[in-house]
Amino acid sequence: MLAAAAALCVAPLALGSYQLYLAQLMMINVIAAAGLNLLTGNCGQISLCHSSFMAIGAYASALVVIHTGLSFLPALAIGTFAAALLGACLGYPARRLSGLYLALVTLGFLQLVQILIEEFPELTGGVRGLSVPKPQVLGYAIRSDFTLYYFLLGAAAVAVFLADNLQRSRFGRAFNAVRQSAFAAQALGIPLGRTKLVAFAVAAGFAGLSGGLMAVTVGFMDPTEFGISTSLRQITFIVVGGLGSVTGSVLGAVLLTGLPEFLRGTQEYADLVYAAILLGSLLFMPRGIKGLLDDLWSLRLVRKPATP
Amino acid sequence: MTWQIAFQLAVSGLSVGSIYALVALALVIPFKASGVLNFAQGEMVTLGAYIGLVLSTSLPLPFVAVAALTVIIAGAFGVLIERLFIRPIVAAPEFTLVIATFAIGLIIKAAIRLHWQDNTFPFDAPYAGPALAVGPLRVNPSYLIIIACLAALVGVLVAFFRGTKFGKAMRAVAIDPRAARLMGIRVESIFMSAWALAAGIGAIAGLLVAPLIGINPEIGQLIVKALVAAVIGGFTSLGGAVAGGLLLGVLETFCGAFFGATLKNIVPFGILILLLLLKPQGLFGGSLQQRV
Amino acid sequence: MRGKAIYAIALGALMGLGGVARGEQGVTGTTIEIGAFGPITGPAAYIGLGGRDGANLAIKEINAAGGVGGRKLVLHFEDDGHSPTKALAAVKKLVDEDHVFAIFCVAGSNGTIGSIDYVKESGRVMYVSFASAPGVTWPFARNLFRGGTTEVPRYGELYAEFIADQMQAQKVAIMSGREEYPKNEGDALTKQLQSWFNTTPVVRVEFNIGDKDFTSQLLQVQQAQPQAIAFFGNPAEAAIAMRQARELGLNQPFFVGVTMVDQNFIAAARQTAEGASGFALVPLLPGSDDATLKAWEAKWKQEYPNLPAGRPNIFDLLSYGDMYVLAEGLKRAGPEPTTDKLIGALEGIKDYRVSVIATPRTFTPKHHIGNLQLVAMQVKNGQWVPMAWEGKHPSDILKRYQ
Repeated sequence: MLAAAAALCVAPLALGSYQLYLAQLMMINVIAAAGLNLLTGNCGQISLCHSSFMAIGAYASALVVIHTGLSFLPALAIGTFAAALLGACLGYPARRLSGLYLALVTLGFLQLVQILIEEFPELTGGVRGLSVPKPQVLGYAIRSDFTLYYFLLGAAAVAVFLADNLQRSRFGRAFNAVRQSAFAAQALGIPLGRTKLVAFAVAAGFAGLSGGLMAVTVGFMDPTEFGISTSLRQITFIVVGGLGSVTGSVLGAVLLTGLPEFLRGTQEYADLVYAAILLGSLLFMPRGIKGLLDDLWSLRLVRKPATP
Repeated sequence: MTWQIAFQLAVSGLSVGSIYALVALALVIPFKASGVLNFAQGEMVTLGAYIGLVLSTSLPLPFVAVAALTVIIAGAFGVLIERLFIRPIVAAPEFTLVIATFAIGLIIKAAIRLHWQDNTFPFDAPYAGPALAVGPLRVNPSYLIIIACLAALVGVLVAFFRGTKFGKAMRAVAIDPRAARLMGIRVESIFMSAWALAAGIGAIAGLLVAPLIGINPEIGQLIVKALVAAVIGGFTSLGGAVAGGLLLGVLETFCGAFFGATLKNIVPFGILILLLLLKPQGLFGGSLQQRV
Repeated sequence: MRGKAIYAIALGALMGLGGVARGEQGVTGTTIEIGAFGPITGPAAYIGLGGRDGANLAIKEINAAGGVGGRKLVLHFEDDGHSPTKALAAVKKLVDEDHVFAIFCVAGSNGTIGSIDYVKESGRVMYVSFASAPGVTWPFARNLFRGGTTEVPRYGELYAEFIADQMQAQKVAIMSGREEYPKNEGDALTKQLQSWFNTTPVVRVEFNIGDKDFTSQLLQVQQAQPQAIAFFGNPAEAAIAMRQARELGLNQPFFVGVTMVDQNFIAAARQTAEGASGFALVPLLPGSDDATLKAWEAKWKQEYPNLPAGRPNIFDLLSYGDMYVLAEGLKRAGPEPTTDKLIGALEGIKDYRVSVIATPRTFTPKHHIGNLQLVAMQVKNGQWVPMAWEGKHPSDILKRYQ
């Protein structure tokens, strides 16, 4: 665990711009995956609109910087908060739904956000996209890839730490109870509606944060970046990583962000190969990478790390 | 807005609604039979259309033969997919299954795209023809055929699910596979048949809409509108799915006429969200209450 | 001690990174490395695949004839999946890992804009063949060049003049899809009709990409009683919309956007396409009856024998022609090409084209807009046939570059 952390800190010094960029994207996806894992993996609520909260965070923070001259960090905070707030707004009425119906409501929300982004091009750039200025942190402009990477690494570390703690906290236990049996949870006095609302809001906040960070990392965005395929990709991160496990979502996000880049050599077959690998990994690791590691551990083949 | 325009809008709304209804059926029927939401259902429609395309352009067969063959081949694909990819993970957590169907859909679409690219191929049906004139109104006859097929499909399938032993077994498995197994139902064959049904009905939908909208890899996107239609009808009612589709088509068309393209886009999802929050069982579905 | 070693290694790595010289990267004794990116997966795959394969065909011919200054051209192609995030990754890989000398961009507008800031910083020359996003040529950037497609306002200029002059229509209805290109074309046409002819469209309706029914829009169009209908969207929608228009009794002639001046449109729309007019980015579309084009198609089919229907498409053709332009620039840059020399060479190009299958390119030190010419065409007997019509109204585009 410590070796991995050290590697993450030192490795970038040997990496070029392209690989650093990939590492940056991985950090961003780790944050999004950690949030989604809390909602879907722990609390059992399916969400097809996780990318919409990313969009809200991305557009909100970018627009705040462009139009009010606030610097990056406050704008990022505003974007994160806006996403969390809208997550609560969705979570509240959706608290009585589950399974297919919840999935459909989140799908409806996703489409609405897409349409709203496209509908106000003077503000959001619409389908033509929006250019995002380079981030200014405490008066210093983040221009180098290295600085941005370490910033993202820090943010991801904080997010993972938060997610892990949340999982072990009273909220995390409430999430798990709701997932396993809504009736039993209620019988135990856990407020169903409020728990789901918190789960939605927290997940949305994580997504908003990752969206705001993605906006400055790529420097340009359009609504197609936040569509259903992105949401589904994020679900694959946590499913392939291991539903319910923070380590799993980190692993899933890192590996599945790197995989399409790794598949560049297959040129136009990349989509097909990616889907085949995805399907294969589900067939051979139905409980994700974390599930596989757990199985190997139980066979005493792998040493279990400290975190669940 | 004159009466003539209003009637034309209504006719056209029902016409496009019939397409939504057809794809909604293709979505609801497999769900009724297996209880699993199949993310590849849109691609089942696309697959059926392309199979029909290949058959009709390479073999000199009459349309009905092409259609029958297409449904059979599609059904076979469904069985193959189920045995190779779904059977091994049927006991896995639900999300694994859902993502697996998503991956299968991706594979189908990517493979089709690699071979046929994004060309839009026309597809000829013998019943296609110039618009019929009913007074000042115009309606394309292909839509009437779709509506006729919708009625036939609903009739046959409702009889199947309610009347036959196999149909009832399917519904049982969809509600609770473990209980069904305890009742002596062979759950494995039911799943296989459910996938065959999904592919087959998807193929019928693909064949019927192809003459109207052309064939390209993205026609599976209709599934998004079909989802809204299915929700309006309540996800468990076949007749409801059809009614939902028709209603959606009419609503969309009128909103487009009054409010423009933006609202035309928003209306389906606005309805979706409102219904789900206020009346999730749709207009025709049964109660969602679970008894403890 | 170990700490110092790590520090030294890290420092050495950093210096190694900085050591790649700017300007000469990608030029070796025997090769010139060219990077290219565009969508080869997803719904826009036909754009990038045409771009890649057309460019490769040109490079193969150029290399067979001895290459450029004795060096062979080597193409590195990366997918951008039509996404700005992935486009940036593609460009970083090309510049940073593959160390290409120049970039040949066959991506869509959003992918191109996503990469532009990085390309400007890296100083590499980027030659953009297809994307019409304004940011490529305005504000002026020394290392960016636009080839095949023209500026968005130019579409408006030519469309407006054609509709007013050739189609003799003062009352135009515009139907446009809510996507980049169609929206741009619709806006540009509206603006130019106003500024040059002082007319406004009688109605402007929008539709969504993926729509299957256009009755509500068509009834509005019908009510406005236009003399011509301009349709900007994709072939799949055009086929449905035009069929429904005829069903509803709308008999006005159609003017279609540049994405529909293509065999795919005729294949999808069949009889309803007859009589439609529009502008093409190339003098002759694939499938036309012309000896030079047929010879080119034969060479193409020999190189790519197993490709699906619809190939070679317009992007194959455009990319082929534009790669020759870039190669011409490389030739004129002399025996030891640098980025500066390439820019100077390209800026000296005037009315260059590889053959009649491309439109001529002209660059100057003041502007890098390679092509201001579109070819008017009409569907006759199931084929897009060039019309003998040329815009006479002088263009306003270049004024702001003086």
